[in-house]
Amino acid sequence: MSRRGFLLLALLPWAPARAQQPGFEALMRRFAALPESRATFTEEKAIPELDLPLPSTGLLAWQAPDRLEKRTTSPIEEVLRVEGGRLDYARPDRGIHREFSLEDQPEMRALVEAIRGTLAGDAAALRRHYEVGFAGAAEGAWRMDLVPLSLRVRAAVQRIRLAGRGAQMLEVDTEGNGGVTRMRITPQP
Amino acid sequence: MRRLLLALAALAGLGAALGLGIGLRTDLADFLPAGRTPASAFLVRELQSGAATTLLLAGIEGAPPAELARISRETAAGLRASGRFDFIGDGTLSLSEAEQAFLFRYRYLLSPETRPEAFTAAALRERLQALLDGLRSAASPLLTRFGFADPTGAFLGLAREFLGETRVETRDGAWLAAGKGPPRALLLARIAGSGGLDAASQQAAIAAFRAAYDAARPGPARLLLSGPGVFGAEAARAIRGDVELISLASLGLLGGFLWWRYRSLLLLGLVAVPLGAGTLAGFAATALVAGGAPHGIAFGFGMTMLGVTVDYPILLVSLRRPGEALADAAARIWPTLRLAAAAAATGLAAMLGSGFPGLVQLGVFAGSGLLTAASVTRWVLPALVPRARIAPQPMPRPVAAALRALRGRRRLAFGLVVVALLVLAASGGPRWQRDIAALSPVPAAAQALDAELRRQLGAPDVRLIIAVGPGTEAAVLAASERLGAAIRPLLGPEGALEALDLPSRWLPGPATQEARRAALPGADAAEAALREAIQGLPFRPGAFAPFLAALAESRALPPLTTAGLAQEAPTLAARLSPLLTRRDGTVRGVALAQGVRDPAALAAAVAALGDPAILLVDVKAETEGLLTDYGRATLLWALAGGGVALGLLALGLGGPGAALRVAAPIGGALLVTLAALAVLGEALTLFHLASLLLLAGLAIDYSLFLARAPDPFSDAEVALGAVLNCAACTLLTFGLLSLCGTPVLRGIGLTVSCGVASAFLLACMLAPRLADA
Repeated sequence: MSRRGFLLLALLPWAPARAQQPGFEALMRRFAALPESRATFTEEKAIPELDLPLPSTGLLAWQAPDRLEKRTTSPIEEVLRVEGGRLDYARPDRGIHREFSLEDQPEMRALVEAIRGTLAGDAAALRRHYEVGFAGAAEGAWRMDLVPLSLRVRAAVQRIRLAGRGAQMLEVDTEGNGGVTRMRITPQP
Repeated sequence: MRRLLLALAALAGLGAALGLGIGLRTDLADFLPAGRTPASAFLVRELQSGAATTLLLAGIEGAPPAELARISRETAAGLRASGRFDFIGDGTLSLSEAEQAFLFRYRYLLSPETRPEAFTAAALRERLQALLDGLRSAASPLLTRFGFADPTGAFLGLAREFLGETRVETRDGAWLAAGKGPPRALLLARIAGSGGLDAASQQAAIAAFRAAYDAARPGPARLLLSGPGVFGAEAARAIRGDVELISLASLGLLGGFLWWRYRSLLLLGLVAVPLGAGTLAGFAATALVAGGAPHGIAFGFGMTMLGVTVDYPILLVSLRRPGEALADAAARIWPTLRLAAAAAATGLAAMLGSGFPGLVQLGVFAGSGLLTAASVTRWVLPALVPRARIAPQPMPRPVAAALRALRGRRRLAFGLVVVALLVLAASGGPRWQRDIAALSPVPAAAQALDAELRRQLGAPDVRLIIAVGPGTEAAVLAASERLGAAIRPLLGPEGALEALDLPSRWLPGPATQEARRAALPGADAAEAALREAIQGLPFRPGAFAPFLAALAESRALPPLTTAGLAQEAPTLAARLSPLLTRRDGTVRGVALAQGVRDPAALAAAVAALGDPAILLVDVKAETEGLLTDYGRATLLWALAGGGVALGLLALGLGGPGAALRVAAPIGGALLVTLAALAVLGEALTLFHLASLLLLAGLAIDYSLFLARAPDPFSDAEVALGAVLNCAACTLLTFGLLSLCGTPVLRGIGLTVSCGVASAFLLACMLAPRLADA
């Protein structure tokens, strides 16, 4: 999508709507039909205590039903792999490898369930964890607003905004602790 | 007849009144003596009221994992709401917001990382770089939340230490057992209160657990519950099941046998009177001596021992000569009966000197019961049924002939005893039971389930426990810290042990907290160090203001105590409470080892400390030692009692020669029984020893009544028949007991039935030959 396309997307009149609307269900079905996808990402973390945002780039891989991998390649090397309730975390550059239960990591879980729930097309899972706002626009563009239901999670992550076109996720913005992390995704064939 | 019924009714009424009025104690606390070494004293205390006694382990299975998780969550919620439990572990273990805030406030006093060198500019710079690196990583949400107020990572380190210990997999807010096999959700609950084997509160807690489970609408799922409290109930149920079956069966057999031999219902009533009176007297005497309710174990054993008294009315009725009044017969056999009862009671009374509260009660109960039963047989029975005309049926002819042929076969008796001695010598005698698990009446399946749940939950190893203290709270926590420092090099997947749960892990001692507080830099120094550390890093000025404020606040915090912890952080306090107990103003700690691979290295490390406040207790070795000690003491006192009883016999029979003649079959029967137990592979326990005492009491009767010189009225034949009837009665009851599944009951049954058979045969062989048959 061109830069102009992005701008247009941002200018669309987003009507806040309940997630039950047909567009949401249809989108979920389209995601559910995709067994796997790969993408590259660039990410920028803006943290109020820092002078400048922290950029990073890497790869995303999705494999239905529940396997999601986020591999950061620069500036640090980091692999985050979620499968079922397990979270594998590795920092190959530091020789660190840990396994967690997703349950014990509410901050991480908030993010994982948002992306994974969408990629899996699991509307019920999304509604279990978030208050879901959805808006569709022309040419299959859509935007989703996820507010964590759990107070405990909301202490760390206040809102996750997803945007995309068709069964493609293009943006993930995570707001928490006064900062925003913006992830831009480029799908790969 | 009417008087007999009245007497029975009176006994029953009195018994009910005593039983209801005084009752029985069932806690192990006053049955066991306080240990004599510090280690055994600690062990006995742990057995009675230790943390381990309050644990309930549960598994839920028989449904899909998601459903199991739901049941587990709802059960746990029900358990928390019941207020009966100090701690529930179910996979939702987490600190509340308030607890997190509290821990955050105390982080510098609680964190082992608080040292002066941690706050220099160089150390801080390293930390700030690590923070920046962390902010780039996936951990950034967590670090943006805590990192700027806590750049040294004290709080996150603590949270990891406190919460990151479980190795059980969590799914949907429930613990799921790892490994193959059907899915199983796991729960752990610690019963509230001071602990101890208080059966009533254990039962109430178990009932509350089951109620919470049922309220979670389990559907087809099954609840598997284990733990010491459940064990107690299982054991009671196993014993009760055995005993009910055996009592019914043996009552039927005994009644049938007595009817066959005597054709008299009256006799059944007569047999019950001395037994009932003896039980009441024993109960009352024990209650007086114990200053309260007698112990259930002493009562149970005492009742078994009073089984001897069934012989008294049988002997009285059988030895009555045709046409003789019962009162005259009683007067005639009284010297022998008196001697038998007195000798048996003396043997039991020896237990009074043992100093073990349980054995003293047993001695008092059985001794006073025996004497009462003998007196009742002498003076009360004849008055109850003055005109009773009960006579035994003649012995069946082949039995009579066989027994007559056995009489006076001294060489045969001698040979039997020699064979027994040879067997004992060859086998090295029966083993002494050293494994306390073999004594346990808990069914093997329940023990296996417990072991499995413990393994799946990663519950601590209870083989090695380290006792810390006693002393003040500060002293015990300081000792715990010394222990922790000494063991730290041994920890880890490659080390001598996996982990050690210490009181000081949850709460450092006040001295340590003060030292940490003193290690925190003053406001100016902290600011200067931070300013230097932040040079060239992309942090905004003021980013670490919360850190500087926290340092200043921490420098004014008073050290945290158990009271403060209990008030502000109940989750952590619940983890500490089983490791640190306060009783009568004295604090005692325990350290629990997990996954011990090299017990010797652990023992050596503790020994190297040379700290009088730290004691390693090898639970298995100590219980074995305790069992051996108790066994040896009982044996010694039984031998002493035997000696005194022998003296009494010499006095009563007019010379040591006669006494030895009477005692010979008893000694022989003991040897034959021991040899038989050795051949059967039974390992000896306290219960076997107590059964041997009972056996000696029975054998005295047989020997005394058979050893009397035969007189022209062919009394000898009658006496032989009477004694045979007595022996048969005992065999019928105890023989059945040896078929029990409960190890303790089976041991008693085997010992007594072997012993009674050999005592009877030996007494028969050693009895004077009849002048002319």
